[in-house]
Amino acid sequence: MTKSRFLYVVYIRTTPERLWDALTKPEFTRQYWSGTTQASEWAVGSSWTAFTPDGRAWDVGEILEVDKPRRLVLTWRNEHFPEMQAEGFTRLTYDLEVVQDAVKLTLTHEIDRENSKIIAALADGWPAVLSSLKSLLETGQSLENTREWPKGL
Amino acid sequence: MSKATFVYVIYIAAEPKAVWNALIDGEATKRYWDHLNVSDWKVGSKWEHQRADGTNAVDLVGTVVESAPPRRLVITWAFPSQSADPEQRSRVAFDIEPHAGESTRLTLTHDDLEAGSDMERGISTGWPLVLSNLKSLLESGKTMPLRG
Repeated sequence: MTKSRFLYVVYIRTTPERLWDALTKPEFTRQYWSGTTQASEWAVGSSWTAFTPDGRAWDVGEILEVDKPRRLVLTWRNEHFPEMQAEGFTRLTYDLEVVQDAVKLTLTHEIDRENSKIIAALADGWPAVLSSLKSLLETGQSLENTREWPKGL
Repeated sequence: MSKATFVYVIYIAAEPKAVWNALIDGEATKRYWDHLNVSDWKVGSKWEHQRADGTNAVDLVGTVVESAPPRRLVITWAFPSQSADPEQRSRVAFDIEPHAGESTRLTLTHDDLEAGSDMERGISTGWPLVLSNLKSLLESGKTMPLRG
C-alpha cells in the first residue's frame, strides 16, 4: 500500500513524556526545528498546522491517532511548494518505546505513491531535525544551524 | 539473491576528528558499542570487532578497504563463520563531513547486504542504537545501556 517510505530510529536518553512534549510544544520545536511551531488540539480528528516563525502555514494535516506518550499519527501536506502540495497528504507516525533509561523513537513518514518528492525531501531533513532534538534533550542545546528559519524561504 | 543497502545519517556536535577517533579508539567504543575495533587501519589490513567483556570474543571480521582520516573509512564486514564466503561479506562506509558550527554529519552506508538475511535484520536494528550512543558519548559524556 505504501510506495514511498522514510524510516528512522533514534535513541534518546529522556522519558517518553519529555520526548512527546519536545515533539509537539512550541518552546521546544522552535529550538531544533528551524524556529517552527505546531498548532493542534492533539486529539483524533483535530487539525494540525506547522507554522513558520512569521506565521505562515507551511504544512497542514489532521491527527489520526493519539496514544500519549506512546504513539502519535498524523497526516501532513506541504502547502508551500506546488509539486509537493500536489502529491497530497503524507502519513507521519511517531512510536515511542522505553528502553531502560532511554526512549527509542521510531519515525515513519510515508505516502501511497512511488518516487515521492515530498518523502525524498523529508528523508533529507528529518535526520538533522531529530539529531538536533536529541542534542537538546541530552545536553540542553540544540544543534547550531537548526535554530532559525532559513533566510529567503 | 538480491542485495540491500542500509543508510543512516546523524549529526553530531563534535569535530570530524573526534568522530573518527570515537570509531576506532577502544576506550570510546567500549562505552558506546560494547566492543573494540581492532586494526592498524591500513588499507588491506584485517579488522576484528571484539567483545569488551573480558573475553575478547570476535563477533565480526573484515578488511580495511579505504582509510582517509578523518573523512572516510570503509571496511568489509562478516560473521567469522561466514567470512570465507564473498557472498556473505558486506561493506560499511563511514563518511564524516564537517558541518555547520563545529559539528559533523556522519553518514553510515552498509551495502552488499543479502536482502532478508539475519545480518541485514541485525544491522538495521544495531546501527541506530550504536550511532545514537556514539552521539550521546561525544556530546554528553554519557552512554545508554545497549542490552535490554
